[in-house]
Amino acid sequence: MTAAAARLENANPLIFQRAGERALTAVEEDETVADPIDDREIFDLIRSINDPEHPLSLEELNVVEQVRVNVDDQESTVSVEFTPTIPHCSMATLIGLSIKVKLLRSLPDRFKIDVHITPGTHASEDAVNKQLADKERVAAALENSQLLEVVNQCLSTKPV
Amino acid sequence: MKDTVELVQRLSAHPDSRCWYVAWNPKGSLLASCGGDRAVRIWGKEGDSWECKSVLSDGHQRTVRKVAWSPCGNYLASASFDATTCIWKKKNDDFECLTVLEGHENEVKCVAWAPSGNMLATCSRDKSVWIWEVDEEDEYECVSVVNSHTQDVKHVVWHPTQELLASASYDNKVCIYKEEDDDWECRATLEGHTSTVWSLSFDPEGHRLASCSDDRTVKIWKECTPGDGEGDGSTDTWKCACTLSGFHSRTVYDVAWDRLTGALATACGDDGIRVFKEDPAADPEQPVFNLTAHVPKAHSQDVNCVAWHPQEVGVMATCSDNGEIAIWKYESEV
Amino acid sequence: MAAESAQLAGLVEEFVAGQVDSKAADVAAGVKAGNFNILELVEALGISLTSSQSQTRGRGVQLLSEVLQECYSGLSEREVEVLIAFYENRLKDHYAITPHVLRGLKALAKSTVLPPGSAVSILRSLFQDVNVQSLMLAERSCVYNMLISLMGSREDELKGLGPDFVFGFVQAVDGERDPRNLLLAFQIARNIIHRGYDLSQFTEEFFEVTSCYFPIDFTPPPNDAHGITQEELILALRGVLTGTPRFAEFLLPLIIEKLDSDVQNAKVDSLQTLAACSPAYGHKELAEFLPGLWSSIRREVFQTASERVESAGLAALAALTSCLSRSVLTSDSEDALQTFLDQVLKDCQHHLYEPDLKLVWPSAKLLQAACGASYRSSLIVTAAVLPTLLDQYSSRTQVVCQRRTLLEVLHGFIQPTPSSRPAEGEESVLLPFQVSLCSAVFSALAESSAGLQITATKVLATMGQQPGLLAESEVEKVVDHMTRLVLEEEDAQVSLAVVECAGSLSRLHPAAFTSRMVPRLKEEIFSAVRQRCVAALAAVSTQPVLVRESAPVLLQVLSSVHSGSSSFSVEEVTSVCHSLQRIAEQAGGVEEIGRFFHDAVIPQLLALTLQAALQSNSDHSSALTQEAVLSAVVPVISTACAALQTDLAAKMAAQVVSLFLDGDVSFLPDNAYPSQIQLLKSQSESWTQSQLVCLLMGCVCSLPRSVDVPDVDRLLGQLEELSCSCSHAFSYTSAAKCFAGLINKRAAGQALDAVVEKTLERIRTTLDCESSAHRIQAFTLLVWVAKALLLRYHPLSAVSTDKIFSLLSDPQLGSQAADSFSLLMSDSPDVLNRSCHADVRIMYRQRFFAENSAKLVQGFNCAEQESKSVYLKALSHIVNNLPRQVQLSELPALLPLLLEALSCPDQAVQLSTLSCLQPVLLDPPPALTTQLEALFSRLLALTSSPAMKVKMAALRCVHALSRLPEHMVLPFRARVLRALAPPLDDKKRLVRKEAVSARGEWFLLGSPGGR
Repeated sequence: MTAAAARLENANPLIFQRAGERALTAVEEDETVADPIDDREIFDLIRSINDPEHPLSLEELNVVEQVRVNVDDQESTVSVEFTPTIPHCSMATLIGLSIKVKLLRSLPDRFKIDVHITPGTHASEDAVNKQLADKERVAAALENSQLLEVVNQCLSTKPV
Repeated sequence: MKDTVELVQRLSAHPDSRCWYVAWNPKGSLLASCGGDRAVRIWGKEGDSWECKSVLSDGHQRTVRKVAWSPCGNYLASASFDATTCIWKKKNDDFECLTVLEGHENEVKCVAWAPSGNMLATCSRDKSVWIWEVDEEDEYECVSVVNSHTQDVKHVVWHPTQELLASASYDNKVCIYKEEDDDWECRATLEGHTSTVWSLSFDPEGHRLASCSDDRTVKIWKECTPGDGEGDGSTDTWKCACTLSGFHSRTVYDVAWDRLTGALATACGDDGIRVFKEDPAADPEQPVFNLTAHVPKAHSQDVNCVAWHPQEVGVMATCSDNGEIAIWKYESEV
Repeated sequence: MAAESAQLAGLVEEFVAGQVDSKAADVAAGVKAGNFNILELVEALGISLTSSQSQTRGRGVQLLSEVLQECYSGLSEREVEVLIAFYENRLKDHYAITPHVLRGLKALAKSTVLPPGSAVSILRSLFQDVNVQSLMLAERSCVYNMLISLMGSREDELKGLGPDFVFGFVQAVDGERDPRNLLLAFQIARNIIHRGYDLSQFTEEFFEVTSCYFPIDFTPPPNDAHGITQEELILALRGVLTGTPRFAEFLLPLIIEKLDSDVQNAKVDSLQTLAACSPAYGHKELAEFLPGLWSSIRREVFQTASERVESAGLAALAALTSCLSRSVLTSDSEDALQTFLDQVLKDCQHHLYEPDLKLVWPSAKLLQAACGASYRSSLIVTAAVLPTLLDQYSSRTQVVCQRRTLLEVLHGFIQPTPSSRPAEGEESVLLPFQVSLCSAVFSALAESSAGLQITATKVLATMGQQPGLLAESEVEKVVDHMTRLVLEEEDAQVSLAVVECAGSLSRLHPAAFTSRMVPRLKEEIFSAVRQRCVAALAAVSTQPVLVRESAPVLLQVLSSVHSGSSSFSVEEVTSVCHSLQRIAEQAGGVEEIGRFFHDAVIPQLLALTLQAALQSNSDHSSALTQEAVLSAVVPVISTACAALQTDLAAKMAAQVVSLFLDGDVSFLPDNAYPSQIQLLKSQSESWTQSQLVCLLMGCVCSLPRSVDVPDVDRLLGQLEELSCSCSHAFSYTSAAKCFAGLINKRAAGQALDAVVEKTLERIRTTLDCESSAHRIQAFTLLVWVAKALLLRYHPLSAVSTDKIFSLLSDPQLGSQAADSFSLLMSDSPDVLNRSCHADVRIMYRQRFFAENSAKLVQGFNCAEQESKSVYLKALSHIVNNLPRQVQLSELPALLPLLLEALSCPDQAVQLSTLSCLQPVLLDPPPALTTQLEALFSRLLALTSSPAMKVKMAALRCVHALSRLPEHMVLPFRARVLRALAPPLDDKKRLVRKEAVSARGEWFLLGSPGGR
């Protein structure tokens, strides 16, 4: 991924405009009112994740969209669907893992977090979904320092 | 649901980490736990309270996924993501690492002692199940490697009385193994779950096997003896006698059949624990299990394991992603 | 004489045989004092210099060299000649002696009477007899320093050595590893190149021996005492490698090779080195390598995820292009620039027309970099790119976001850089596209997409700044579009963009705005879109002709508000005032506008507010009597007054002072006022009049210091009275501020001191009387007076601030006294600041802190437990306003107290301390790092504070701590992660947001790929 000689799978992907920063409301500054965790808040957590191979965010590549985020604060569930840029994208699992890890690190642990591929957008959709849903595999992956390194790079605020 | 489950004690067992598994020693005097902090902890009762007796932290480099006591209670085996299995020997109140079983290519996910105590089974993400023999000098030797699954093997469990082994896998299947001419081979493959099978438990007599899965169901499998007219003798036949569906709202991570009462407990990713009892009036060929107790938020996160106390009726231990262990008392209304 | 030679012999004996090193200094002192000379020393050394024992010879030479290092400047030419001959000979001696020989030679090389030929002879011996790289670090440094000083003094002789000199240098340096020595070696190499030494057949060897260090990869060792940075080495080496076009054939392939590296620093260094070559290179040097260079640059810019690589790549391309632009065109050769740009265009241009794919941006940036390199390149690139871009823009009517991208890309091409700007006699390269650019922009302005409209305004503003690009008829159309958008566009961002664009265009084209926009805005000023009209009027008032039209419209609004004929809200009225203030700000000292404010705007404002004050009663009160509105009028007046020329300012002061002191309304328009106006007299029911003192302040406190305020003593007396006795808070506070503003600027001397002393006495008396009803008034005046004096370093300032310190223990005023330090230490927006010409000494905060921090610490230590928080609050206000550098240096002493303040239950203290700590934590001083345990436990405790702002500030501090060196904070990682879990579930989103970003960083800490 870093070698100059390595060719990108999709060197010239479609790019999309970023949503602006969430506008601050008076309610958000009012200490007496609770702000429920909503779809936009979850989307804000994941939209700036770096793509593992492009200097672009998942939002700019349209891998994540707010309409594919579903949160129920009361029930403590979050579901996110992501769309790989091409149906054979070999990075799909890694992207899904990054999204999952970002949410695990950022959300209260009461939440049940499900990360899936948008139906019909990837050749190995079921296999990737199953891997991402297997917390034992996810835990083992995060103990693998090479994988963790790539995930951390995706989650770094500054591009490395 | 007429039965009750009372919390006896809650322990912060593996802080900042998950607790993956708990196991009672045969006498029920000690409880071993393991988790993401790479440690095994031994808990014992002091007065009315369970306290940590020792921490075995230098055996593994990565998560300790499961622990198992030998039938004599003097040995403890721990399986880890670091691809090894440690055998610990109890010395007075302490444990020392006796030997390290190596050979799996990657994460070891489960370890189990045969009822005789002379054999040990391990399984791994490398898709294999290994059978080890133990001699009098505490030497361990791998006698067989079986590759019947096409994906990670999540769990292995021995039959309570026979030398028969069952395994559960990410490939959605359960395999049953027996020794045949000095080699172990798969005698039966149980298909029916539609996603990863996480755990297995034999009933007290060993006639039936319960399996739990990511498909949110529990299945009860029954062995068909050749006399039943089913099977031809070269393979054993197990068939699904009933499916408990609609009870669990997320992955069922563990199932445990109580040797003392025959009750069936489950640990679920929806944070709940449940106890089922067989309807005695139902046809044994078509058993019916009723949910008799449900603790919805038994833990604040996924429940990974449930284990019945081997001696005290109704006592069980559970553990969770939040690093806690909980001890419960199940009271059945007669 | 004999005594001296005996003394010398004794010293020599003690040094050589007795191994007493300190005797060298004694000998040197003797030589300097003239007790003995060098030749006598040589004689005294005699046999030790020729001893068969190498150790004895070594000591002998060492003594001589050490003395020479001190005394070389006093030598005669003959002495130098003899010594050089001696030393050259000793270079062949035992290796243990060589270091001393080199030191002696280095000293001699610095002599100004070096005989002709000896520089060459020293170097010949050196190159011949010494293997430099087998020497120790210090000796190698000695050789390099000798070369440097000889190159400085004997350049011609050294050049006479011809290529031998270069060869000798190459051999001497080959294999050098020490960064300090490398800096010296690079300096010599640079001199060789820049001063025209003969490289001839050794060019390649010379290049090899220096380029082997490229790209520099150097990490200073921990606790490095030499302070050499990687950057220093990079720049020194770059100076060598890029110094001559003769290296081109070796350097360019090397750059292409290193660009293939996986190491980001190597890429950046290579690209920057390439850019640095371009001033010295011409087409001849580049030609062969252009295809390779271009494809590497393009690959890097297309693929990189790093902004550093990208900007280095773009700079390199611009440099190459500008280099080619300099090549002289001859009729028989091809145009190198055209050929190169053809390739660039071929590889990039087509991506511009795929506006939703990723490569559109890197391609656009590459082309824009090439375009901006020179006038000629901008001609070629715009001619190639603009027609298709414009065509694509107009044909892609379906997809708005594609059109926006195209327009953004287009915008990048129409901004000339300093290098591509047309020279005298050249015309804008955009002239051929004038019409189509305008039509593209107009169509974009007519779209409903906010993004497209905003981009269009940017394009317009850029076009408007280039003379000749907008014809007068086009300008009129532009203004009509702008006017329509101001009146009709609901989207706030578009509105803002349009207004800013109109402001920028109005500077060059005021007439079109006067005739077409202002009248329309005036018509709509009372309509539903009045807010936008007001903002637009202010923005376009950039020229006197526009101000004359727009300001009266705004004044008319205020007048209608006063008369009650329009229904503007208070917010709307204040925004009208803000607009007037903006106009005053934009005037930037233009006299014509200043005069207009003086003659018309300010009198009108005073008249309106005065009428409002006089006419208000319990049944009717005009919006112009509201504190919020008056506070918005103040900056209009002060901004305008601060910019007045001296004569107008003096006139203004006289008029306003006589209005407030004597009720003289003669300069106000609309002369219908009661005869007895006494604005500074405090009457309980007439606060509407007394509060007008804020306008007096706006005027007299912002005038240039050279302007004398008439009747100032009477004025100060009345202000003091009003501020001490009035019961209306806004009135007495404004009076206190006005008083302070005047004494701050008043000339130093007896008169000033008398006023201040009298006032301070009155304040003291009132404050000391605990039953007084006017303690708060006295306190307010005290704080403002203290501030006025503190800013100008007045000797009485200590008296006033000490009084405030003593009030910290006052049960009634303690907390306000603590808060007043915030006022003392921060800039006030409306008075006593530099923009209103106040006397503000630099570093008054530091000085105040230095003089008073001990009092606070002591006060804290002595205070009763329950009043300790007052001291902490005062301290945190002071520290919070100190410049960062001072905070850093003072922190060690204050840290215990600040940590204490974090545990103080007062949330205001917590908050103030946290906001003071946070910037410090980004680059913490060593003192902090020994207190991490205490710091972490307090900060983590505050993350669960009941107050949202405290939680957020604490989380920001915890976040900042994640950037400390890993070994220091890693032990806290698990604890921090645990503590930051509950705030992730806070009920407030803003808290969660801080917790998420802090916790994210802490997860990355010490984790692979993290940090």
